[in-house]
Amino acid sequence: MVRRAVLAVLVILALALLTISFRSPTAGVLHDAQGYGASALRPFQVAATRVARPFRDAYNYVSSLSTAKSENKKLRKMVEDYRSQLLLNAAAVQQNKDLQALLNYESGPRYPQDYRAVNAAVVSFPSGPFAQQLVIDAGTNQGIHVNTPVVSADGLVGKVTNAGRATSVVTLLTDPDSAVPARDLKTHVSGLIRHGQGGTLILDRVPKNQVVTKGDWIVTRGTVERQYPDEYPYGIPIGRVISVGTSDIASFLTVQVQPLAQLDSLDSVAALIPTKRARSHP
Amino acid sequence: MTIADGLKAAALLFVAAIVQVSIFTQVDIFGGVPQLVLVTLVGVALLRGAVAAATAGFFAGLVVDTATLGTMGLTSLVLTVSGYCIGRYGETTGRDRAHAPYLSVAVVTVLYSFGVLIVHFMLGERAPAGAVARGVLPTIVLNLILTGPVYALVRRLLRPRERGDFATEVQLLG
Repeated sequence: MVRRAVLAVLVILALALLTISFRSPTAGVLHDAQGYGASALRPFQVAATRVARPFRDAYNYVSSLSTAKSENKKLRKMVEDYRSQLLLNAAAVQQNKDLQALLNYESGPRYPQDYRAVNAAVVSFPSGPFAQQLVIDAGTNQGIHVNTPVVSADGLVGKVTNAGRATSVVTLLTDPDSAVPARDLKTHVSGLIRHGQGGTLILDRVPKNQVVTKGDWIVTRGTVERQYPDEYPYGIPIGRVISVGTSDIASFLTVQVQPLAQLDSLDSVAALIPTKRARSHP
Repeated sequence: MTIADGLKAAALLFVAAIVQVSIFTQVDIFGGVPQLVLVTLVGVALLRGAVAAATAGFFAGLVVDTATLGTMGLTSLVLTVSGYCIGRYGETTGRDRAHAPYLSVAVVTVLYSFGVLIVHFMLGERAPAGAVARGVLPTIVLNLILTGPVYALVRRLLRPRERGDFATEVQLLG
């Protein structure tokens, strides 16, 4: 009898918490209390992550040895390509600046100059079949809020979907609910970046009459209409097109994109906080 | 359950929850993720019974949900029910059986995986039954690997109770 009563009380308590939390996941008293709790747990999580890091690094080192030689050859070739591309790009950037100055060109917030980076360690990886998310060691105290874009050194990672005082939840690009307006840097074709098979992404909603080619770079599209400001500024690298396919019955191209950020082994990320100048340009 | 036992169980589950959310969730083998909290909870349930396990499950779930800024109460709900079921098994037919921890871990892994899936489904969230079903078998294997050392540790900290302490509703014959 006592056993069942205890079980009933605990289940009712859990259901009550579930209901309150579900109705108001990013605000309210319970969310604030959860934020304080997460702040208190953060040192333990950081400590656990630090203890595990040498083992993870050792595993990554050993597993990467097998592919090191072939990868080295491939990377040398890429460096050569990029070096020649860099010179062309530098000239184009300068010309772009001159032309914008000449035209008094008005633009939205620009990445990266209109943003400051809040660097944060990854303290938890609650991924799995339900959500592709991670918890970072920075929150509203550092200026982070819901929808803040998050990047790594390689490219876009995702955005903040829940912010506590000292920790935040980042939903990754590979989450099924994630959708990022993006464009092909070369052909200017726009689409939506969504999750794909096996850790890849899909550039969705690209009409069949548009041209996207293998190897094209995909970046965030940014705001195209002042009335509907985008959460991501223009130009954050997302990934590279690895295949383009189509079929007779489909209305859109099937564009598979390999993300630049190593989403499954992130140690630290940077949240992009708009500066004053960025806030004055929606 | 004495206060000392309660503190030991709380410390164990707290450490298990922190290690789970900080380290073990990164270990993804064939879609399976080892669930240290669940395995530790099984140990507590078998050694200390249903009430202690349900309470321990509730608070371990709170730690997990707080650390991950997840939906509060979700993990607590499933761990409470899982802990209670295994606790009842431990109080009755499961006691003194060498295979009880392994059997309990295998069963509770399935219960927990589908329990979380059902709660997500009832909340109207994404509930990928296929992915969960594919991940169950590898998760059971990983949890069974953890069971031996974790149960030995829990048993060392929480000394098995005397026979008279168990529930008397069900008596084994022979």
